Amino acid sequence: MPSETQREIGAEELHRYRDLARRFAKRSLEPLFAADYPDGNLAFLPQAVEIAFSTGIVASPEPSMPGNVYGIWGSATDELGMTPSLLLLSTIAETCAGIAFCFHAQGLASNLALPANRELARSPARVALCLQEGFSPPYLGTINEPDHEAPVRISTSATVDGQGYIIDGKKSFVYSLDGVEAYVVFARVGEKWGAFLVPANDSGVVRSDVGPRTGLRACRLENVEFNRVRVNRAARIDEGGARELVLRALGLNWAGMSAIAVGIARGAVSAARRYAAERYQGGSRIENHAAVKLLIGGAQAAAEAAELSVFSLTACDFTKVRTLVKPAATKMTVLDLCARAVTDSLQAFGGYGYMEDFGMEKRLRDITVLKSAAGSPRYLRQLIYDIERDDVE
Amino acid sequence: MNQTLQERIELLKPKNAAKSLNVLGRMLMDNREMSLWERDTRTLPRGARRWRRRALEFAREHIRPLAARADLNPYDFDPKPLLAKAAREGLQTLLVTPPIGRAYTLAYLRGISLQTAVVAEELATECGGLALLLLAHNLGIAPLALSGDLAAFFRHFVPYYLKLKFLGKSDTMAFAITEPEAGSDVEDTEGGARARLVTTARPTAGGFILNGRKCFISGARAADKFTVFAKIEAEGLDSWSCFLVEKGMKGFSLGRRERKMGQRACDASELIFEDVFIPGKNLVGKLRSGWANNRNVLNYSRPVVGAMALGHGRGAFERCLEFCRATRLGPRLLIEYQDVRLELADMMISLWAARSMVWQSCRQFRCYQSASAAAKVFASDTAYKVCNQAMELMGDHGYLHLHGVERAWRDSRLTQIYEGTNEINRLALFEHQMTTDFNGERSSETEQI
Ligand SMILES: Cc1cc2nc3c(=O)[nH]c(=O)nc-3n(C[C@H](O)[C@H](O)[C@H](O)COP(=O)(O)OP(=O)(O)OC[C@H]3O[C@@H](n4cnc5c(N)ncnc54)[C@H](O)[C@@H]3O)c2cc1C
Repeated sequence: MPSETQREIGAEELHRYRDLARRFAKRSLEPLFAADYPDGNLAFLPQAVEIAFSTGIVASPEPSMPGNVYGIWGSATDELGMTPSLLLLSTIAETCAGIAFCFHAQGLASNLALPANRELARSPARVALCLQEGFSPPYLGTINEPDHEAPVRISTSATVDGQGYIIDGKKSFVYSLDGVEAYVVFARVGEKWGAFLVPANDSGVVRSDVGPRTGLRACRLENVEFNRVRVNRAARIDEGGARELVLRALGLNWAGMSAIAVGIARGAVSAARRYAAERYQGGSRIENHAAVKLLIGGAQAAAEAAELSVFSLTACDFTKVRTLVKPAATKMTVLDLCARAVTDSLQAFGGYGYMEDFGMEKRLRDITVLKSAAGSPRYLRQLIYDIERDDVE
Repeated sequence: MNQTLQERIELLKPKNAAKSLNVLGRMLMDNREMSLWERDTRTLPRGARRWRRRALEFAREHIRPLAARADLNPYDFDPKPLLAKAAREGLQTLLVTPPIGRAYTLAYLRGISLQTAVVAEELATECGGLALLLLAHNLGIAPLALSGDLAAFFRHFVPYYLKLKFLGKSDTMAFAITEPEAGSDVEDTEGGARARLVTTARPTAGGFILNGRKCFISGARAADKFTVFAKIEAEGLDSWSCFLVEKGMKGFSLGRRERKMGQRACDASELIFEDVFIPGKNLVGKLRSGWANNRNVLNYSRPVVGAMALGHGRGAFERCLEFCRATRLGPRLLIEYQDVRLELADMMISLWAARSMVWQSCRQFRCYQSASAAAKVFASDTAYKVCNQAMELMGDHGYLHLHGVERAWRDSRLTQIYEGTNEINRLALFEHQMTTDFNGERSSETEQI
């Protein structure tokens, strides 16, 4: 249901968003896949990112950037709802989920950092979110109170120090674009949540790459340590409590990841259809074999169902914990559906699906990462149950 | 009654509770603390049991340290030292019994493929790519063992095996049926009748001239000999014949090396034949017997592929278990959470079911189509599922190379594709049962209604 402040968004407007993403993917992303690279030729990535910034696809907290308002998770998200961003992400992910995830990560952190624009003299253009610690996002008890050991308190703390704060702690699995200028860091301030904009080039910030991984490789992935980093008061984004921002971070993250999954699945299904119409085996095009129809038909059904689920997430209202149930459930089910769609589409390629050249194995790697990242099914199921049980406001 | 909760829990544990039984009752209760691996091993015939233990040790000692590197940089990896070690250990000569091979005779008589399958699981538990590198050799040499051609057996198979067994050579063979336009078609009866084959053999004085291409051939770079299947020029798949092609033969070369998602330590390469002269003595089996030989080779190798898949699943499970035992979530280790145990138990159940099926499919002297296809399909689907579960359980850590779980996941996905896709294997299973009377008697004629 759209929230009260949200305005209706027309079909034509949506069409424009999709068209923008399609044109960008065709012109700027497809060339990355022209040569033999398992994850695209990432040497061209900076150029593609620049174009995405200049065309306003990617959001930024910096008001002068074209995507500040209408880019992915830009400031218009509250007014327009999630649909435009979900549409942009899913369309780009049809071509490359890793790059869609870069834009998502940037947009997500921008969205959270936007309130800071009021305070800061100059906003950073590239930002990334630091919420997670250990290997999963916070559980319900900790979402409510970062100090709560249910099952583990937030270790990153912000302590008042004169005119500012000292931030200390470790964040894990931080996805970002290259060239991040600041992190949106969630930390404990006493018993409450606080959110801070921390310059990435501070000497107390230590970034370490997580090493080789399965997928979404266009995106940077790091663990980030904050060793007694001093920030001034204006760097605090929230106004005395960032719990709602935590909810927003989780909700938008799961929604965006689900949209990316739908894009991957759609891309996989259409690639499989094209392949099945060309490949001959058993005396005919393989699309004529029931085995292949079942694979691709099932994959398409799964992708369609997933798409319906994702685009039913419209309102961007994260004032209550309860509002997390829908995006959490969506992430869990959509990822499952889409992963099935992708693996079945790959199967229609036979051995060629397993080779890097056809892009199917990349889709499978990417979607599998999304499944475990930032909230595995195990975590999400428990969170959903706990929210319903506690019925917290 | 002053016991703490912990003490009461301790008392209720089956091994302590058993003390309340009388001697006979205690004897009837098996409370020994023993891994499932050990229990399973003890159900095997003695020879297979021995090979299982030796393969486990070999895999841990020689494969585990190489696994991550060979996966990440397969092009720089030199497989020869590992192949030589495996040959010296006897792992490369398990298709027949002494004095030629190293399979234990009594266990062999219970099932030709059992010992190979048992070994395959152990090797694949540590690394899918390196396991394939070692095991593709069995597939390559199998046509010589299964063709029934004694001349070819004594001329080619026996000296090759003796060389591996006594000299510990790193030599291997590779198996080549797949062509660019014929993948499933060379594994399926109906597809086979319509196959578009490009690899042909033309009879000539003293032998044959081979032309054409094969693709996706596992272990081709390390192999020195290849069992290559080709049709007689202008005929169909029914004319397929098997030829032993040797590296260095004029006109024979390796083409493209595929870039794969997993099992990367072992190459999948293209073979190119340009007017290669094959001497008559290198014909394996009768002329035009290649199709039957190929189908039978697949019957024997599919349970082994099932066992490899099982190994990938087990590797993912074991490494995930290790992670859960070592990682804290708040005050407790992951392993202490109920939901984690449930998931791990579910993975164990799946793997156990798959292992039972693989072993069952090998527990008769000759392997047959339905059981082999069923074991391959079930084990590979199960392994893929288990690997996914393991990754998900580890959250964001699941997709880091560091833990080796995602490698097992990538490796397992291939087992649903090669040796016939799982769809083609399902069709193969049923092909063998088309005319079976499931009410009891087997009739070859369909009853007229
Ligand atoms: C890494 C790797 C290693 C390999 N190693 C070897 C090797 O060592 N030696 C060797 O000879 N081969 C090898 N293969 C080949 C492998 O066995 C084939 O890839 C496999 O049989 C599938 O064939 P294909 O890739 O041509 O797929 P296709 O046959 O093109 O299949 C595409 C899709 O169509 C379906 N399909 C095809 N025909 C039918 C039909 N008649 N009815 C219903 N559905 C159908 C398939 O199930 C699949 O979903 C290897 C393959 C890979 C990927």
